[in-house]
Amino acid sequence: MAKERTLSIIKPDAVSKNHIGNIVSRFEKAGLEVIAAKMKHLSKEDAESFYAVHKGRPFFNDLVDFMITGPVFILALEGENAISKNRDLMGATDPKKADAGTIRADLASSIDENAVHGSDAAETAEIEIAHFFKNNEICPRTR
Amino acid sequence: MKKLYFLILAAASLFNLNLIGEQTLSIVKPDAVKDRLIGEIIARFEDADIRVIALKMTQLSKEEASKFYAEHQGKPFFQELITFMTSGPIVAMVLEGEGVIAKNRKMMGATDPTKAEKDTIRADLAESTTRNAVHGSDSVEAAKKEIAFFFQPNAIYPAAK
Repeated sequence: MAKERTLSIIKPDAVSKNHIGNIVSRFEKAGLEVIAAKMKHLSKEDAESFYAVHKGRPFFNDLVDFMITGPVFILALEGENAISKNRDLMGATDPKKADAGTIRADLASSIDENAVHGSDAAETAEIEIAHFFKNNEICPRTR
Repeated sequence: MKKLYFLILAAASLFNLNLIGEQTLSIVKPDAVKDRLIGEIIARFEDADIRVIALKMTQLSKEEASKFYAEHQGKPFFQELITFMTSGPIVAMVLEGEGVIAKNRKMMGATDPTKAEKDTIRADLAESTTRNAVHGSDSVEAAKKEIAFFFQPNAIYPAAK
């Protein structure tokens, strides 16, 4: 199994509810390593360009408005099958449909305020990590 | 009423008082990052009603680490401390809350994990006096200096504005 990287965002709802540690420890306990991390309050332009693939969809404006309501916590995770592992840990987009024990089932309040974002494929992971982190902000483990 | 509130805050900031919440610098050191304990440590702070208001992961250069620990320069443990602090990435963060400087120090426990009180971060998670999982500012002045070392003001997001 190949080592992969994925981008995770702890969204403003979860940050404001003091769930950063809870969520990060789920990743770490599942064997994923945090190789880049920063807290940031996104500007409208930041959020729009990050979600550019969704532009024009009915939920786009609400999503952007929500993502800028407070600071977010952005992480690059590395590990075996990091992309699918992260998606398994997050659970379904709609917390009501998320499996028990997943981040969204435990911590998210609605389909809009759903606590976390995770890349859905290797190509998007690469683009999303580059969107938020310069190369010198990524700290792969050397030991 | 709102105007008065802002006036008081403005006056307080002139005199360097912080009515909203004290701030401190916390570092998750290379040993704890490597042991995948970042989340565990942040969760302890958050569960104690402390808020993370700035955070970044970074790999310190020897020069940066020496500058951060400048007050320890010349002490017998200095080289070992610098070598350790540059051995892998760290997570630097600003914590905010009432009495957070003292609260953080209590939660960390004694520098030497064998002397740290039960249930503290160091008693539970640290290996030795050098590899002791966390750093925390020891005074208001140190906190101010250490926060400025790692963060530009626009990268800090106080909860109460």
